[in-house]
Amino acid sequence: MKQILDLTVNGRPYEVAVRPGAMLLDVLRDELQLTGTKRGCELGDCGACTVLVDGRAVNSCLMLALEAQGRQVTTVEGVASGNGLHPIQQALVEAGAIQCGFCTPGMVVRAKALVDANPQPTDDEIRAALSGNLCRCTGYAKIIEAVKSAALYLQAKQPAKLQFATQRSAAHLSIVGKRLPKPDAPAKATGRATYTDDIALPNMIYGKLLLSPVPHANIKSIDTSKAEALAGVHVVMTGADVPDLTYGTSPARYDENVLAKDKVRYVGDVVAAVAAVDEETCYKALSLIDVEYEELPAVFDAHSAMKEGAPRLFDQKYENNINTRVDHHFGDVEKGFAEADYVREATFVGNRAYQNPIEPHCAIAEWDTHGKVTLYTSTQVVHYVHHQLSRVLGMPLGNIRVIMHHTGGGFGSKAATNPLEIISILLSKKAGRPVKMRFSRAEMYLYGRGRHKQHIELKIGVKKDGTITAVKHKAVLEGGAYSSFGVVTVYYAGSMIPTLYKIPNYKYDGYRVNTNLPPCGAMRGHGCPHPRFAFESLLSMIAEDIGMDPIDIRLKNAMEPETRTCNDLDIHSCEFKACLEQVREASGWDKKKGKLPPGRGIGIGCGGFVSGAGYPIYRSQFPHSNAMIKIEEDGSKAVLFTGEADIGQGSNTVLAQMAAEAMGITLDRVDVVSADSDTTPLGFGAYSSRVTLMGGNAAKMAGEEVKKQVLHAAAKLLEIPEEKLDARANQVFAKDQPEKSIPWNEAATAFFAENGPLVGKGHYSPPKGLGGKYKGAAVGTSPAYSFSAAVCEVEVDMETGKVKVLNFWDAHDCGTAINPLAVEGQVQGAVVMGLSETLLENEVFDSSGTIVNADLHNYLMATSMDSPIIDCSLVDSYEPEGPFGAKEVGEGATLPVLGAIANAVADAVGVRIQDLPITPEKVLNGLKSRGPTLAANSGQGTHGRSRVSSTPAS
Amino acid sequence: MYVSDFRYHRPETLDEALRLLEASPDGVLLAGGTDLLVDLKQGKRSHQDVISLTRIQNLNAISVEQDRLLIGTAVTHNQLIHSPLIRAHCRVIAEAAETIATEQIRNTATVGGNLCTAASCADTAPILIALGAEIEIVSRQGQRTLRLADFFVDHRKTALETGEILRRIIVPIPPQGTGAAYQKFGLRQAANIAVASVAAMVRVADGMCEDACFVMGAVAPTPRVSAGAAGLVVGRPISQLSEGSPLWKQVGRAVADDAEPIDDIRGSGEFRREITATLARRALTMALGRVRE
Repeated sequence: MKQILDLTVNGRPYEVAVRPGAMLLDVLRDELQLTGTKRGCELGDCGACTVLVDGRAVNSCLMLALEAQGRQVTTVEGVASGNGLHPIQQALVEAGAIQCGFCTPGMVVRAKALVDANPQPTDDEIRAALSGNLCRCTGYAKIIEAVKSAALYLQAKQPAKLQFATQRSAAHLSIVGKRLPKPDAPAKATGRATYTDDIALPNMIYGKLLLSPVPHANIKSIDTSKAEALAGVHVVMTGADVPDLTYGTSPARYDENVLAKDKVRYVGDVVAAVAAVDEETCYKALSLIDVEYEELPAVFDAHSAMKEGAPRLFDQKYENNINTRVDHHFGDVEKGFAEADYVREATFVGNRAYQNPIEPHCAIAEWDTHGKVTLYTSTQVVHYVHHQLSRVLGMPLGNIRVIMHHTGGGFGSKAATNPLEIISILLSKKAGRPVKMRFSRAEMYLYGRGRHKQHIELKIGVKKDGTITAVKHKAVLEGGAYSSFGVVTVYYAGSMIPTLYKIPNYKYDGYRVNTNLPPCGAMRGHGCPHPRFAFESLLSMIAEDIGMDPIDIRLKNAMEPETRTCNDLDIHSCEFKACLEQVREASGWDKKKGKLPPGRGIGIGCGGFVSGAGYPIYRSQFPHSNAMIKIEEDGSKAVLFTGEADIGQGSNTVLAQMAAEAMGITLDRVDVVSADSDTTPLGFGAYSSRVTLMGGNAAKMAGEEVKKQVLHAAAKLLEIPEEKLDARANQVFAKDQPEKSIPWNEAATAFFAENGPLVGKGHYSPPKGLGGKYKGAAVGTSPAYSFSAAVCEVEVDMETGKVKVLNFWDAHDCGTAINPLAVEGQVQGAVVMGLSETLLENEVFDSSGTIVNADLHNYLMATSMDSPIIDCSLVDSYEPEGPFGAKEVGEGATLPVLGAIANAVADAVGVRIQDLPITPEKVLNGLKSRGPTLAANSGQGTHGRSRVSSTPAS
Repeated sequence: MYVSDFRYHRPETLDEALRLLEASPDGVLLAGGTDLLVDLKQGKRSHQDVISLTRIQNLNAISVEQDRLLIGTAVTHNQLIHSPLIRAHCRVIAEAAETIATEQIRNTATVGGNLCTAASCADTAPILIALGAEIEIVSRQGQRTLRLADFFVDHRKTALETGEILRRIIVPIPPQGTGAAYQKFGLRQAANIAVASVAAMVRVADGMCEDACFVMGAVAPTPRVSAGAAGLVVGRPISQLSEGSPLWKQVGRAVADDAEPIDDIRGSGEFRREITATLARRALTMALGRVRE
């Protein structure tokens, strides 16, 4: 029974009939089509749905629409008028404070309420004011800076100009290497950018999934008759209605059913699906499906799962639930430890962190009358979804079109094909209508694919001078019910350890184990953050033991350029030592280390990552990245077509910059069409930090091909041989007589007139034969590796154990930074995400394997108040394999964070926490037991060949 | 996530609200809705009638009557924070409200809602109890006044009976010589749910502590008054209560001893007890520092 609601939105009066249970958010989005206000958590925790009601910021997801009767509502669409930007929006764009943009509308609205009420906010007031708006991408730093600038602007004052030194490798370039705002940022700042859930197709219906309430069971029967009889229900589907083919991420381990066939393996496993006129009817229908389960014993932790006689998730495979086993030995560790003067070993335990992009997954499927289907989806990897759909549906790629609009962050959670993508297509086919499916926040956690919790035993041997002689590493990864990326994860966990320091002898034993919990997958830094946390912690412990400065021991062992690691990975450019020196200097390390007051501490952590995986996830003969450029007939614009996905990291911007630089035109003349399988050429997408290097090489090559043709046409017009010409800043000119020039667009027009379309194409494949010959040698290979060092300063409340991170100083070797503004954004975001994982985050399950904190209320993520002051610097570096010398930053920047914080806490209070997250309780317990107990745990190690072990302090 | 159907009522007078409440078999009151709507969305409860209190005159007003502050049940947390009357007469209430959730929630959630939800971690309860607040409850049958300390029966259970509405909170304006403070411990730097909290009130005359009250949050099924701690302090010279003194330490321990904390996702019971002692000592020191005789 609908009721009439009168309200004013953005100055316009509306009269709408609404369901009493409808929230203001639903009415704004679904009835008034004001989709700038975002659905993030729907429970008042994330702030993405913030609007002003009578000038006050509220969560529109937690306000009954009828409560807005007679009120004045302002949404992001009403903050500025016409096509202009409000100073807050302008400042966010210019500061590089917008990445995925999904939190941005809420931030804009909240910031507006702040400066309206308090025109001169201090930094602390801004931080506090924004703490109800979660952002997973930016680390808040640039948002805070932007709000400050906007407030100054509104008072007619000028913000201070930033000093920025261009890298040497970018000194001669005009667009690459510049701190440029992203062209798509204004659309995100105004709420115009369309995310998948913002799309409504004519005649569209909705789909929802029935998820298993039990952790492990045989399905005896499913009765859908009552659900089918419910008015408004179009389709009900079970395992009997879907292909028998299993799917997944790694071809060797395709082990997921589209809908459960006869068995469920965790609470959240996909049992059935419904399509109906609205989500409400879907939920009602789901509650009417009767499933008879025959419960089986379940197992929730990896060590129990590996024991003989433990319940098996798969009868026919994965003996002892060991999904993947890695047994690597390079050099001779026993010999290495024998040569060591000091050996220490310790155990470390990671946590189950979840990516939590602010945008929930969403997919919309639409069939045409020719048997072709279009899927709009929030994904990082259009191509892999395309490939997997083709496989599962038994349809050629050409009959499936996958389109990614804006995606509100991923961090690995959207790096594979998900059930929404397949099932929306199946439901839509049967219903004959477009079907939209989306996850609620709770369903996101149940779908899972977050970080594998790792149990690590690590042993390092060093000479008196700190030189590492051997490393032994064992990792048991809790995998959850299905394989997902896990095969790769368990290899990465081992293979990246020898890339940062020179390790002559290395042994790695990896186990990836199935448990009856949501499957784990690839999360930022894929498999590496926990081992890196362990390594950086133990290295600092050893440094202290042998009386060496923690930075010195790192410098002693630091990787050097043009090195082949013990596990056959080829490092080319490497400025790791420069990173270490940079953070030592910037942080005032020598003045602080060991000299800070009690409760205050400083620590170092380091990291590095691949710039794209050397091999694709499935065997593919195609170049990993491809690009096409089409020039408008009058030469006024270039359109770059790329299959890569901009999920907020800014890949459309950096690819456009590289293409523009290569063509000799300015960035404003380049538009990007990306991530659409029909219009853009194959690109593997946004995972393994691959896009800048691989997509960039393809875009650069395509741009060079365009330029060559433009120069050819210009040569005729200028009557100068083309080899003597060059193009830059929209002009073609003679290299030795720059005054002899013509506009770029004239030359391009002339080319088109004579030859037809002016197009360029480019492609990139990693060098052939990367890596060694042993089993698993492919994982960890890459054309190039990034390096980074970070120093962290913390303050610990000695009476509560609570850690406050005050400062971070990070230095990154990402080769040439294509866009330093975007690089800073990646680093700041990685620091805060890493900090959040280290101090706050952990999925918790009850005794029946049900997650108890599948929300943003009990699963805590860092707020703007938790964000430290972050100093990011780039070191001069040039990677020959990268476009303009570039390599990765997005994932590598996460890796130093965990260890840096753990080391800083240890420095502050003498408590070494070896299991994540580092909670106040663990720190306080450590403080209480400091003294004899602590000495046994993490005090003096042993010299010579004897062993000492440390176990987690709590 | 969807909210099942209900009838929505938006009465403009308290009488009308009471009539609606009486007429409905399972009517529920909506103030800010930030707790109720979460429960409805998560399917933890459903109601046939939802009765909004947000348009009833005076329920969202703050006033002073003689030596008492009167806080309407539908006053939002941000109203408390920005109220000149609260700031002038009892600033500590505003300080407690500032620790609640986020700006967006504080603009919507109400003090009456916070009390009636009766979560043991409610941030307004400990300080209001410490200040000796009473609540005025109305029904079709009449009105009654209850000490807030007696309002909380169990976790999420209050003394409110069917057909009753909490109309307002009555806070005696602290007389000269009173100091009060609220200390809350949460796991992050903002938007926190209390892991433990302690409100302290002390009244001092001629250097002697005449009255004191310590109230804990999140460490028992309800907000809990520590009788033991008050007993240690009352009648003692405040010179014995300086930071680090044996008595000061004892107070912290006494408050913690009266706690009955559980293990949950935010911390173990043992940790909570430990934190409670620290918070109690900090609150005591801060309250004493605020005494102006």
